[in-house]
This record gives sequence, structure tokens and C-alpha cells, in this order.
Amino acid sequence: MTLSALNADIIVDQLNAGEITATDCVQHFLERIETHNSDLNAFISVSDKALEQAEAIDNRRKAGESLGCLAGLPIAIKDGICVAGQPTTAGSKMLEKFSAPYDATIVERLKSAGAIVIGKTNMDEFAMGSSTENSYFGSTNNPWATDRVPGGSSGGSAACVAGRLAPVAIGSDTGGSIRQPASFCGITGLKPTYGRVSRYGLIAFASSLDQIGPMTRTAKESALLMSVIAGFDPRDSTSSKEQVSDSLASLEIPLKGIRIGVCRDHLNEGLHLEVKTKINDAISVFKQLGANIEEIELPHTKSAVAAYYIIAPCEASSNLARYDGVRYTFRAQANDLEEMYRNTRGQGFGDEVKQRIMLGTYALSSGYYEAYYLKASKVRRMIKQDYDEAFQKVDLILGPTTPTPAFKLGQHTQDPLAMYLADIFTVSANLAGIPAISVPVEPSSTGLPIGLQLQGRAFEENILLRAAHQFQNETPWHTTSPSEPWRTQS
Amino acid sequence: MPDTPEQPIVNQVARLARIHLDEQQLKSSGEKLEQILSFVSQLEQVELPEDVIPFFGAIESVNAIRDDQLQTSVPREKILDNAPESDGEFYLVPPVFKQTDS
Amino acid sequence: MEDSVLNSNSNPQSTNRQAVSFNDAKIIIGLEVHVQLDTDSKLFCGCSTRFGEAANSQTCVICTGMPGALPVINRRALELSIRTGLSLNCRIARSTKWDRKNYFYPDLPKGYQISQFDQPICGPGHLDIQTTEASGQSRRIRIERAHLEEDAGKSIHDESSRRQSSKIDLNRTGTPLLEIVTHPDIRTAAEAKAFLSELKLILNYIDVSDCNMQQGNLRCDANVNLHIPLGGEQVATPIVEIKNLNSFRAVERSITFEAQRQFEAWQENGLTIADAPKQTRGWNDQTQTTTLQREKEDSADYRYFPDPDLIAVNIEETQIELIQSQLVQLPSTLRESLVTEYNLKPDDAAVIVSQGRGVVDYFLEVADGCQDSRIANNWIGQEVLRQLNELNQTIRQYPVSPQQFTELLKLVIAGTLDQTRGKEVLNAMVEHSISSEEAIKQLGIKPVDNSELVTLCETLIDENQKVVEQIRSGNEKAIGMLIGKARKINPNANPGLVKAMLSKMITG
Repeated sequence: MTLSALNADIIVDQLNAGEITATDCVQHFLERIETHNSDLNAFISVSDKALEQAEAIDNRRKAGESLGCLAGLPIAIKDGICVAGQPTTAGSKMLEKFSAPYDATIVERLKSAGAIVIGKTNMDEFAMGSSTENSYFGSTNNPWATDRVPGGSSGGSAACVAGRLAPVAIGSDTGGSIRQPASFCGITGLKPTYGRVSRYGLIAFASSLDQIGPMTRTAKESALLMSVIAGFDPRDSTSSKEQVSDSLASLEIPLKGIRIGVCRDHLNEGLHLEVKTKINDAISVFKQLGANIEEIELPHTKSAVAAYYIIAPCEASSNLARYDGVRYTFRAQANDLEEMYRNTRGQGFGDEVKQRIMLGTYALSSGYYEAYYLKASKVRRMIKQDYDEAFQKVDLILGPTTPTPAFKLGQHTQDPLAMYLADIFTVSANLAGIPAISVPVEPSSTGLPIGLQLQGRAFEENILLRAAHQFQNETPWHTTSPSEPWRTQS
Repeated sequence: MPDTPEQPIVNQVARLARIHLDEQQLKSSGEKLEQILSFVSQLEQVELPEDVIPFFGAIESVNAIRDDQLQTSVPREKILDNAPESDGEFYLVPPVFKQTDS
Repeated sequence: MEDSVLNSNSNPQSTNRQAVSFNDAKIIIGLEVHVQLDTDSKLFCGCSTRFGEAANSQTCVICTGMPGALPVINRRALELSIRTGLSLNCRIARSTKWDRKNYFYPDLPKGYQISQFDQPICGPGHLDIQTTEASGQSRRIRIERAHLEEDAGKSIHDESSRRQSSKIDLNRTGTPLLEIVTHPDIRTAAEAKAFLSELKLILNYIDVSDCNMQQGNLRCDANVNLHIPLGGEQVATPIVEIKNLNSFRAVERSITFEAQRQFEAWQENGLTIADAPKQTRGWNDQTQTTTLQREKEDSADYRYFPDPDLIAVNIEETQIELIQSQLVQLPSTLRESLVTEYNLKPDDAAVIVSQGRGVVDYFLEVADGCQDSRIANNWIGQEVLRQLNELNQTIRQYPVSPQQFTELLKLVIAGTLDQTRGKEVLNAMVEHSISSEEAIKQLGIKPVDNSELVTLCETLIDENQKVVEQIRSGNEKAIGMLIGKARKINPNANPGLVKAMLSKMITG
């Protein structure tokens, strides 16, 4: 088997056993990037220090030093997360020339566990989008059919894992930005509980919703990455001190008796027929695993997208005020300060980002705050309460990750609302702060991946990963990779 | 929900957000804004208990506090390294004088 | 416009306005005071707050608003805020949170300032001030709130050339400020000054801030308008916020100027609070006038909302009690105790207390030691303060310890040293850092016994018969001349004793 076909846990085992070297491993994936990135455009930049770091790991291993649990494992990082000394663009012209002066907490943790950052992945500008078409650096293509979007905003991370340009990747999820592209690209993506993973060094889109998480082929690999990146960080005030449960250790605990809730509303109208069928098939798998399936209701989640499209732009309008041409961004030509601001922000931001800043600015401005931001935040409370009540009855909530498989490039670019509805099943977890995972189920008849979403109680990532892992024990969908050369049409 | 924004309001929002938009962009921005706002107007229909407390952040714990301890600052060269314009000591910005407003 | 004809000076309203005198107008003043809290590190990051370092040498990814960087609140800033709140009789919030105030300025790195909107750390309180007009009378100024926020950086504009760049220094960015807002309870410029003096004194006593106004550690904005009686009703003029007040004098003068200006403007145009929005005017120290500051249309739309990067801070009752129990005595308490327990006049007590806790402690130790608080006050309130002023020293640097000072005063009280000699001794003690004993030795001071005194007086009488005659004929003051001569012959002679003996010898 070639290296690129191996899962991260196997790669780590082989590295530890001395069967392969970190240098070989990094070299292999760099070559794959070299060969395939022109088709996929999954990476915005590739690290020029990766080989050096791999050699250092190999040397340390030779010297008998004790190494971290990811020693020598190549990893791709979404370009909205700071890696010291590397370009960190957030997919924006605004930060085209920005070199991060520091490591995000999760990058620090990954590095000290021995992981090697091989590159920074493409994304919708400032994570605003569901297709990676809003990147200043061009859209990413879905390796399952290159005329389709990989989803977004972490489309580069999803595409590079699906296309095996990196064994695993890190993404961030504000309204579905890990799970939706994971679903579109046929991989596993976990959005952890809000506060579970430090946001320090994650370029903020909407601070109360953003969360960093793993994007991998298997749930087991996600559990492995979570064992490194999860946990309290004193540099992030919103980071939780809650004990991190050992997901790796609990993966095989049988699911018998676990209660899984299904919300019928989410399996009805508007849903792509094949998505509905495959999700129902997946439900049968969980029944076989001993789960009890129960019907639940989440009455307020139908307002989730509307609440989300107020709250996220409001926070974004403020979070993105720092991109002003003064300290580290692109700066446009101007004769005076006001002109400098307006031209810099007019030219430095793409259309979707400008549109959301406009929306957020409007919704927060004098006289509108109560009708929009406050009202949406109250609806958000109701959504959270729905989940609190549902989780009294069940341990997990199951449904589709997205209403359809990956759509075509350009299909929704003129229709923001259609694009926003791609997030219909994912935004609620962000609003409520709960963890959720997307795992691949049987693809569509045209070979497009479909994702199943499991949502869990706050800080119970271990249960999500356990359920996902055992589903993957029973099904082959996570093991298949797109054929090369990539299909250009579906 | 308030009425959808009129064009002068769109202009004002663009000014407030310090984003230059030309006539065409202002118009299209106003249209999109209207589209989204009419979509989110469904929130109006959501019935809320009177005493509902808005939920602003997904974590409702308290007291993330640090001790008053000095940390080494980042060297000036490194901080100014990303600046579009600096003299090695200060960030430089265009002068703050009369807006050449339309 | 036709309307303007009706509103012209010929209308009865205008005539009435001309009839009102400035003295009838009541000045309504509210203050917003920004105090820099004396922390080592900034409010949300570990950079130093020290003043005067090289530009942009005290910044990091957090206080320069780099992408992805996050704030974490400084414990000491919270404690100092609570301490201040307790000293101003404020209700301390049990839960306090952070909000973003959004506006663009190059010295505001994030494009918003982290502040507190609806849950300030300190709620309503008050501060009693002594008004100069009626000594001993106090006025209660209500505090509306005090909230924590981060400071902005510094913009340096080159005004000589319009084309030149402005320079931005972010060292100050993120320094903790407590903004104390009063109700509009202040009625005169002098009261405003008195409020600020008392506030500054308290902040010094409780070690919250050094309040150095030159360094911007205490900044003040004043909201001013007038209530004018007109035809049995009160008319309020538009509120003006005066900015750039960098000294107590500027506060006092700007308010005086502004009140007069508003009165004249009102007489002229009759505009009231209902006709015009709040205006911002800057105080110009050169011209001693306020001038209208240009405002952007959107400057007031700060789009406050809760900062999602920070979580609420809950303040436990026990924590407040602990800070309360550690609170030092406040100036007002000390003044009161100097008057009631040490018998000082209120003005004298105020002088001692205004010098800071060090001088008060010095006074208390000396007064207790020498058992005569009036003498202690006379000497400390005059001699010591004068010397400190001349030496440009604080009481902690003063070379005479309270014990040594007590010894000196004991000699004065016992009559061993007269006032004049006593001061000579004190000067010597200060100059050479020596004890009173050593100073007395150095100055050759020794007691004069009775026989020496008799001889001295007899000599004086013999040699100054003309003066003696004057005294005998009723000019008692002439005796002063003899006492002066006595001092020249023997500086150690106690003038009181000399006087008594001479009187006895001359008038019998």
C-alpha cells in the first residue's frame, strides 16, 4: 500500500516501528501536492520547513528521544489558523502578504506532539462561505468530481484529505465549515463543543460560534487528533476547563442501548431523495449495533439559519474591523485616512465578506440592535433549550449533514440564500455550542459522497467518536478514495 | 422587524463599515441586504417566553482571569514587519484631514 | 425662510432672554473621569504599561489586534476597580461583562474598544466634597457608574505639513482605564475642581493610580449646560461635552468659559436642549476658549454588543468583603479624625491630609509622641511642608525621622528651645541629617542659668536707659528692642524668659 492510502494512526505506528521515516512520509505527501494541487487547488501555501522538521524528528527518533504521539505525521492546516513564520491569509487578499508572528495554540500542541505542518489549505475568505468559491486564491475542486465544490469554508482541508494530499487536516467550523465539506468530500469531520479546543490563533469569523476541529478519513484519526488539540488554554477566555474525556480509549465500547434521536422534520421536505435513503440505511446500521432510535423534536431549529445569518455577520462586522490597512494588511492607495480605510476595505475584501460586514453593521447599528441581534440571540436560547430537552431523552441526534451532495461550481454563487441553506442542518450545533460530527454514508448513484451528522451533548465528543467509529467498523464508505485521475464530471 | 433599508441607509452603512462601494455595488448590496433581511424576518414569527434570556455565547462559564504578570513584548521589528508602511519606529498612516467626501 | 422673521430679535421671547442675567442661570456639570489603573501589565495582555518607553516597544499580538489573538482580563485591574468603587461608595456588580465599542481610528488596533456597556463593574455611588465657598460645608456628588475599559494608542499628527503621514504608537494600547461618570450634580467650576482634587486624593490614598495628569493617567471630560429661568419656567441649553482637559485649571477655566459662552449663545439664538444634539468642544489652553470639534456623522453609532471573546466575571461577596477590609482610611475619615481627635482646625486638617498618607502618618506619630497636636500641626503644616517643597522631596525622603522630630518638639514645648532656635535646629537637622541633640551641640546651644540671665538683663538696662524710659512711660512694645539685643549678646537666652525678667526689673 502506498503511504497516501494509509490512515494517520497506521502511519504513526509505522513511524514508531521504524518501518518508514518522517522524511519519506513528508516527501511523499509533498510530491502528491506538487502533482495534484493544480487540479484541486486545495493548498494556498506549502511549507518550506516541513522536510527540515521531518529530518529533525527522524534524528530525534534515532537518538532514542521520546517523541510525541504524532511524531512525523504530516498535517494540513486551514489557512485561517496562524502558523508562525508561514503565510496565513484566511483566503483573503487582505492578508495576502501576512506572515503570522505566532503559532495558534493548536499548532503549538500539534508541533509539540511531533506533527509536521506541510501546508495551509484553501478556504472561503474569512471562512464565509459553503463552497470555497469565495477564496481570493481561487476555488478548490472536489476530488470526487472536479466540476463540483468541496464545500466550505474548510474546502481545502476536506479536499486534501479526500484526495490524499495530506493524511489528516485541521479545519474550523462556524456554521458547518468542517462538517459540510467533510460531507461533500466523503470524509469524517468533527466540530467539537464550543470551548473544547482553543481558538487562540484562529482568525475569527464569529467568535461565539467558531471552533477548530479535525478533518480526517476516520473517526479514529479524529479521536487521535482531538487527544492532542483538545483542552483548556489560558490564552482563550472562552476555553473550557472541563476534563477532556479519552475518546481513543472508549472507541470500542459497544453502542448497545445507546439512545439515538431522529428529528423527522429533518428527514422530510427539501431533502435530496438519495440523501434521505442513505441516511435511513445508516439508521438501520445503528439499530444493528444495538442503538435505540427515538423520535425527537427540535422545534426552533427551523429558525436556526435565520438567527445564524444575523449573529454571525454581527460578530464578523466587528471582528473584521481590524483589517484596516494600518498594521499588517493590504493597503490601498489613498490621500487621507478615511479614503485609506474605505479603499483598503473596498478592495481588500471580496464581495461576500463585504456583504456580510454590511449586514452585520446594519443589524448592530443604532435602532436595529434589538430587532436583529437581540432577537436572534433570544431565538438562539430557544434552540439551545430544544437541545437540552432532547438530550434528556437521547444520547445522540442523527440526521443528514447537508440536504444535498456537493453542488456544481458556480451553481449558487449568484444566490446567497440557496448557498446559506446548505448550512441548514449544521448551524444549530454552533448556535447551541454542542459537538457534532459528519461521517460518510453510501455515496449517491452518481458517486457523490453523502454525510451523516451526529450531534451530542456538550463535552461528549467521546460518544460521538465512538458511535462514528463503530459505524465505520460496519461500513466501507470512509475507506474509499476518489479515483485518479480525478473525475472531471459527475 | 424594521423595514428593509433604503438606498441612503445602505450608503450610510457602507460609510460606517468603511467600505468603498461604487454606485453599482451599492445598488446590488442593497438588493442582497434586502433579500437576506426579508429571509431573516421569519424570526419575527418566533414566539418567545417573556423572560427568555438572550444567549450570546456558547459557553456560559465565568471568570477567565489572568494574574497581573508581565510577559515579554514582541520585538518591534517583528511587530512592524507586516506593516504596510512604517519608519522602523512607528506605523505610518495617511494624514487625518478633511474627508474628500462626495 | 419666512419662519426666521417670526423668530427674529424683535419677538417677545428674545426680549425676555435679554432681560435674564447670567447670574440667574444655574450651571449643570457632570464629569467623566478616566483613571489609569496602576497595574504592571495591560488589561488584556502581558505587555508593560510603563510610560515613556520607545515607541511600539511594548506591544504584542494581542494589543496590536493581530488576527487570531485573544484577550484575557487582568485580575489586578478588577481588584483596583473594586477598591475604587468601594472608596466611592459604589455598589459593586456581582456579575460584570464586556462589550465592544466599535469605531475606526488608527490608534485603535482592533477597530473596537473593549469596554463595559450595561453591566459596569461599579454601580451607583457618591463622593462628598468640601466646597470652597462655605468652608466646612460638604456637597454630595452622585457617581452614576464606573466601568473598566482599554486605552487606545497614540497618534502623532504632523500639523506642519498636510501631506505628511501620521505616526502611530501602540505602547499605550490596552492600558487599563476606569471611567468614572458622575451625575450632573456639580454646580460650579470650583466644585468641579474640588471633586477632581478629592477624587485624585482618594486614588492616591488607595494606591489605585498615581493620577499623573501630564502622562494622561487622569483625564477628564466635562458635560456642561445651563438651566435658565425664563417666564416662570426653566430653559435648558444644549449639552456640550468639553474634551482635552489636561489639568485642574483647564477644567475650572473651561467650565467658566463654556457657561458664559452658552449663556451668550442662548441670548443670541434661544436654542435649547431640544433643538440641538450634544456637541463636543475642545478646550484650547492657548486661547483659553472652547472650540467646536468636527464630528463625523456616524461617530455616535458605536454598535455596542457583548464581546464574544470574553466571558462574564462573577464577583463573590467574600472577595468584596476582603477588599473592603483591606481598604485604608480615606481622606475624609482622616480629616474628621484630625479635627475631632487631634483638635485641628478643619482647614489645617485638610492641609495635612491633602499631602497624602505619608504626611498624615508622620503627623500622627509626631503628635502622639509630643502630646501636642497643635504644635505638631504648626511645625509640620508649615516648616516641614515648606522644606519638602524646597527640597522637592516626599515625606518618605525627608531626612528627619518622626522620632527625631518628636524629640525636637518636646524641647520646644518644654521651653528649652524657643521657636526661632528650634527652627535653626530643624534646619541643621535637615541639612546635615543629624539628630536634634547633635544639631544643638553643633549650633552651640546650651541652657542659660538664672544668674546669667540676671546679669544679661542688668547689662541691657544699664546700656539702654532711653529705651527703659520709654517702657516706663507706657510704651510696652519697646521691650522688643531689648529682647533683640539680648539675643545678639547671647543667642541661647530664651526671649520669653528675658522679657519676663526685664519687665519685672523695669516696671517692678
